[in-house]
Amino acid sequence: MSPVVGSARPPGGYAGKALIVDVTASGAATVLPLEETVLRAYLGGAGLGAWLLHRLAPPRVEACSARAPLAFVFSPLVGTPLTTSAKFAVVAKSPLTGMLNDALASSQFAISGKLTGHDAIVITGRAPTPSVLLVDGPTPRLVPAGDTWGRPAAVAEEALRRRLGRGWRIAAIGPAGERGVRYATISHAGRHAGRGGLGAVLGAKNIKAVAVRATTKIGPADPDGVLAAARDLRARSFGPATAKYRELGTLANLLAFNAISTLPTRNFTGAAFADAPKLAAEELPELSSATRGGCASCSIGCEHIYRRRDGRGARVEYENVFALGPMCGVSDPDDVLAASARCDELGLDTISAGGTIAWAMECAQRGLLDAPWLRFGDGAALLRALEEIVSGDGLGALLAQGSRRAAAIVGGGSEEFAPHVKGMELPGYEPRTLQGMALGLAVNARGADHNRSGAYEADLSGAYDRLAGGDTQVAAAVATEDRAAVMDSMILCKFLRGVFDEPYQEWAELLRVVTGWDVDAAELRATARRIVLAKRMFNLREGWTPAEDWLPARLLREPVRLRSGREASLTPARLREMIDGYYAIRGLDREGRPDGPALADLLVSA
Amino acid sequence: MGHGAAGVVLAGGRSSRMGTPKAALEWHGSTLLRRTLGVLARSVDGPLVVVRAPDQPLPEVPLRVDVVADPEEGLGPLQGIAAGLAALADRAHAAFVCSTDLPFLHPAFVRRVLATLTDDLDVVLPVARGHPQPLAAAYRVTLAPLVAELVAAGERRPASLFRHHRCRTLRLDDAALLADPELASADPALDSVVNVNSPEDYRAARCHPAPTVTVQRYGALAGDGHLGPRTVRAATLSGAAAAVGLALDRHVIAALNGDQISRDGALPLTSGDTIAFIAADAGG
Repeated sequence: MSPVVGSARPPGGYAGKALIVDVTASGAATVLPLEETVLRAYLGGAGLGAWLLHRLAPPRVEACSARAPLAFVFSPLVGTPLTTSAKFAVVAKSPLTGMLNDALASSQFAISGKLTGHDAIVITGRAPTPSVLLVDGPTPRLVPAGDTWGRPAAVAEEALRRRLGRGWRIAAIGPAGERGVRYATISHAGRHAGRGGLGAVLGAKNIKAVAVRATTKIGPADPDGVLAAARDLRARSFGPATAKYRELGTLANLLAFNAISTLPTRNFTGAAFADAPKLAAEELPELSSATRGGCASCSIGCEHIYRRRDGRGARVEYENVFALGPMCGVSDPDDVLAASARCDELGLDTISAGGTIAWAMECAQRGLLDAPWLRFGDGAALLRALEEIVSGDGLGALLAQGSRRAAAIVGGGSEEFAPHVKGMELPGYEPRTLQGMALGLAVNARGADHNRSGAYEADLSGAYDRLAGGDTQVAAAVATEDRAAVMDSMILCKFLRGVFDEPYQEWAELLRVVTGWDVDAAELRATARRIVLAKRMFNLREGWTPAEDWLPARLLREPVRLRSGREASLTPARLREMIDGYYAIRGLDREGRPDGPALADLLVSA
Repeated sequence: MGHGAAGVVLAGGRSSRMGTPKAALEWHGSTLLRRTLGVLARSVDGPLVVVRAPDQPLPEVPLRVDVVADPEEGLGPLQGIAAGLAALADRAHAAFVCSTDLPFLHPAFVRRVLATLTDDLDVVLPVARGHPQPLAAAYRVTLAPLVAELVAAGERRPASLFRHHRCRTLRLDDAALLADPELASADPALDSVVNVNSPEDYRAARCHPAPTVTVQRYGALAGDGHLGPRTVRAATLSGAAAAVGLALDRHVIAALNGDQISRDGALPLTSGDTIAFIAADAGG
């Protein structure tokens, strides 16, 4: 690895290098030059993170071992006035799935992190004692975590801001990350890089937090062009395509999804929740006291903080409420808000926490777990389970493994209703009534996730019957996965996606003014395919098998009934047919493996 | 919904009393043919077929509709039934066959008739509002050769089929039809079989109030703060949207009875429907 940057001037929006920090050796650092061909091929964020993992992760490395790298990856757009661009990706091998994982968060950490002069900060090794990594240039250093260890991420973040002084931006883990919960988050300013347990990876390195401070400038190729594009995009971001996020936040999904039977309930035993109105943004009595906020550089402002009975605030998103409410059968809004807030404090991914607890509730009710207190609908039990997950008491050590590993331990058929794909718990999109999404959830490299495959958009478009699988659904799953790959790499928030009429063309125009490249829509489409394939190739390297592109047995065996009386069922044969179609479009063989020519395009060694 | 059942619309009549092709008659911003097809599409899970006269122009019809032509004009409804059933060979076990001029046809009626067509029957013939309704009836698709034989023998009227010894026909009178609680609730007067044969019929039908439906806007679409369901009168999806101040643009989708998702403004509505208007940008 070269200790200095190459001589070529990096393209606009880039530093042209990644900082590799070995925290075992008190923050000894090297610089990895990033060639323009690599930057153009992978852009940044999730894409560049995938390339870095190919390059830096030892094959079959244990996710939480000292040798495993964890990368904070920025993007060409971050730091520009383009709305929603202040985002960063955290990329590492997931302790939950054993696969490549990228999780996005946002706000000032993204801007300051890039302005340390790096397109990525990669952490390897394990600090001898709990530490905080400081990066504000080419010479990172470790300082003791001190009494921030054991504290909630937000508390640690605030304490470190006071200790370090002005200008430092901090991403931190909570107690869940310190204790190795496989779905622990990393958060900054209340936004979580939530999925896949990357908080546990950072915790395993004995790193409580990463603090960054801007010390340089990285300008775009065409500043005037960027300003004009930013003005245009900002104006469009106030339109109807983002109204839902502004006015109610993602919680607006809850009643709508309930009305169309796409709201998973009681561990996927149903697709509608009779008590959904009690938890709905439109109906919550606390709505009047909600406050709204947004990330840095964002004109949408999707964040909605609701006031709990005890006066404390709780960040509320659809996925939080789905996973901790209907999924666990809990309908008391204060219990759900309290559970959501507690997940934030502990640093737990709400979807995986809710999914794992819902599975445990079903196990308890079936007599597979000796936990008579753990019942669907019991908010106190939900809160107790969250505490045990992080403390390790009672069922905690089991549930901290996530539903896949826990089901393998408990057995008794509980594997069939463990709500995961590749070990990652399913989000709040019912696959049997959204069958394009069913495919997207099954084949995505990260596991069951709605942010890397948005095929639900096509399912809900009315273009076809959402209860039937077929070629159209396959095409939709591929298309939305591709779009997500580009947005997560440029990076732009997906809540902005509805404002683009010709997404690839418009994204290419944004990249042109930032980077100076003559990139066009066709090139970006190829970039999308490359990123998706690179993720799959990493997983193959790490031991992925075709059986992991699949859905839980329950979803393929038990139908759900819509309000119309129609029965929604997804058969194994139909899912197999869609997966085969997906592989064909992706240029994969019947086992889901790519061929030689496609690999050469990845710029990674096989 | 009939399992493996199809829908057939006979659009090839001469419309001599109406003086203009009935298929193209305006119906709440759409056409009678569009409405009839839309109701059938909501009611069956098999293919849809339109039978027209040779060279007869048709108004625009939705995708995924097969259009077949009678081989010869003026051979009557039996020929239309023969052509429709023949077009369904191997694709459906049964079909609800109707004329294009049933503006009040309700999916509950279609489902009721199809559900009665058990394995030991070939035809379910409603005798509703005092008259046999061969063009609002269910037929087994395997009848196609027999119907073709009858046509070839010069028969023009469906009654010849119902009395044939190889056709097992069940007649359903009003009471039998309304024994189905869904139909009794949705169409207690059996308006489903009301057809329009003359300009006077058509005008009277157009004066009939649009169906009563329940509409709910979700999330940001309830921008005026009016939450909860509202009852409106609307014959089409766009009519329902307009009734609550929405336009069916790319930012809005609708779910019909919690099931089909649509942006098709011409989607016909019938009494008792529930429509959920949802932001198209669903997702977290």
